[in-house]
Amino acid sequence: MEKSEINLSEVTERSYGRLNPNSVLGAILVLVAGIFLFYIAPTYINEPPSMQHPLLSPRFLPQLAGWLVLLLSLALLIEGLVRPPRHTAAEKLHEGIPVLRWVLMIASGAIYMLFFEELGAIGSGILVSVLLFLASDLRKVSIYLLAIVFPVVVSLLFVHLLNVPLPVGTLWE
Amino acid sequence: MENFSEVLALFLSVDNFLAIAAGVLVGVVVGAIPGLTATMAVALALPFTFSMEPVTAILLLVGIYKGGMYGGSITAILIRTPGSPAAACTLLDGYPLAQQGKAKKALKTALYSSCVADMISNIALIFFAAYLAKIALNFGPPEYFWLICFSLTIIVSVSGDSVIKGLIAAGLGIIVSTVGLDAVYGTQRLTFDSYNLMDRVSFIPLLIGLFAIPEVIEFYTSKVLPHIRTAVSGASLTWKEFKGCLKSVVRGSIIGVIIGAIPGTGATSAAFISYSEAKRNSPRKANFGKGEIEGVAAAEAGNNGVAGATLIPLLSLGIPGDVITAIILGAFMIHGLTPGPVLFQENLTLVYALFCGILVSSVVLLVVGNAAIRYFSLIADIPKSILLPIVLMFCVYGAYAVNNNTFDIGLMLIFGVLGFIFNRTGVAAAPFLIGFILGPMFEDNLRRTLLISKGDPSIFFRGPIAWVFITLTVASLLFAIRRYWLSRQEASAA
Repeated sequence: MEKSEINLSEVTERSYGRLNPNSVLGAILVLVAGIFLFYIAPTYINEPPSMQHPLLSPRFLPQLAGWLVLLLSLALLIEGLVRPPRHTAAEKLHEGIPVLRWVLMIASGAIYMLFFEELGAIGSGILVSVLLFLASDLRKVSIYLLAIVFPVVVSLLFVHLLNVPLPVGTLWE
Repeated sequence: MENFSEVLALFLSVDNFLAIAAGVLVGVVVGAIPGLTATMAVALALPFTFSMEPVTAILLLVGIYKGGMYGGSITAILIRTPGSPAAACTLLDGYPLAQQGKAKKALKTALYSSCVADMISNIALIFFAAYLAKIALNFGPPEYFWLICFSLTIIVSVSGDSVIKGLIAAGLGIIVSTVGLDAVYGTQRLTFDSYNLMDRVSFIPLLIGLFAIPEVIEFYTSKVLPHIRTAVSGASLTWKEFKGCLKSVVRGSIIGVIIGAIPGTGATSAAFISYSEAKRNSPRKANFGKGEIEGVAAAEAGNNGVAGATLIPLLSLGIPGDVITAIILGAFMIHGLTPGPVLFQENLTLVYALFCGILVSSVVLLVVGNAAIRYFSLIADIPKSILLPIVLMFCVYGAYAVNNNTFDIGLMLIFGVLGFIFNRTGVAAAPFLIGFILGPMFEDNLRRTLLISKGDPSIFFRGPIAWVFITLTVASLLFAIRRYWLSRQEASAA
């Protein structure tokens, strides 16, 4: 019995050699909930000088939710410690991804967030579409024409058909 | 009669018919593309509705919801990839049928069963929503408080594999929902002195971030999988064959209606219950799981029977039955309407115009669904490498359109990263959204009750309606704990 237990632990160590992801997630959430409850909530939720009932406090619901997260994260941490981790087939999909692929994705997000008003909806749409097509290693030139057509069509759809204003781009004004 | 003519005047507009047709079409297309979901489509369509009339806007979203429910079954049948969790049951017999070269028969069975179930569900909605709303007129803040508590128990059913993670996500959603100025005292809560956060976290960037952006990030951080080509082949469904399934379709529709009317139970359980009932009563039960069209019909009737019925608690009580109705609830609010009994009192014409549109959507589903079967390979063969940059563009334009502010784009991307982390760590995003929506309702009714009673807690137990909801809440929690316990035992046995 003892031998089989040792074997099992060896297999677990050899196969995985890591903590259960649930424990890591639980530990991070315990930390986040702790910071929220003991620093953020008291500092960034202002209470009025007098209240009719403690449950009417602006801090009541956020703190209740914070304690819920803290206790459940602890449960998750403990649950992860008593259960061996399992590899899933999906994990293999994320191994060995070309760096350029996700760097271009992050750059796309940054362009939309930081230069949307400067480049305009059409300008940033074209730029990001080209970057993301490059990230997918698309070679056909005709596909890159779509990177121009789609932002123009979608922008016109928003602005003229649905009356939703989008920026033209301060750089082109 | 005067009201009826007002309803017709409101409903009979080209815009409404176009919205239904466009909604169902988009829903079927998105549902039929593996990896894209009806939830994502509804979230992305929300910014498009800003300039629309409320009826047109809601009909567009309902159309997407219904189209998506059917569209999910197409991939389940053809490539064994359910487009929605509810379609998982459809593949049990749908995929074996496709392998036998009877894909067209399976798809037609799914379509006709979906349309019949959808129509039955819509009729149930029209009959029951008004009655329920009439009862709900007697609710005060304490009753609403318990109703929200009962609604919060739906978090357990939308938590996916881990209830603990689902509850954590709901807690985080509640915390995010409290950002902004406090409704009673006007003090700042978690705004970090940012002007953009004073008026709460915007619903649309959060929604798009949680449900659309993670798909984009997931694609660019994963290996490119070979694109699976599909084909719709074989003989079509005959009337005699469908007639043989009708009993199961009607039974499944009624199961769907009952389950859909209870918040949080969901289309997946309705599909599986309907399927098992059909199997139990069928003379061909041995053929179930090997390619039986009655199995496809029962599963689809179960999951589409839910679609109209989930709108019953939404319209009559103002509480969402699932994630998509939670988004539709947001759409009502964006258009200045609050679902619930007051909606029936103050906007009866609008409610019945919606009912007309919802009925028409079942017919539109039949037409669009038939076309989708014919042109399916064109729809599903669009590679994600072309599709996702366009999806991202819609996300960004939609988030920006809320306040014409790039802050919302940033907010959307932050929630997108959060949604991606949720995906990677097995945390369901739906409880976060439910927490975000129900959190303020919970707080609002708790505070109102305490202000009315001047702090006396006995008001929470003041009458039979409150006790009904207390009993339902406790029963729902006990049921959830039992289900969790059983699933844990099954997992450890496996």
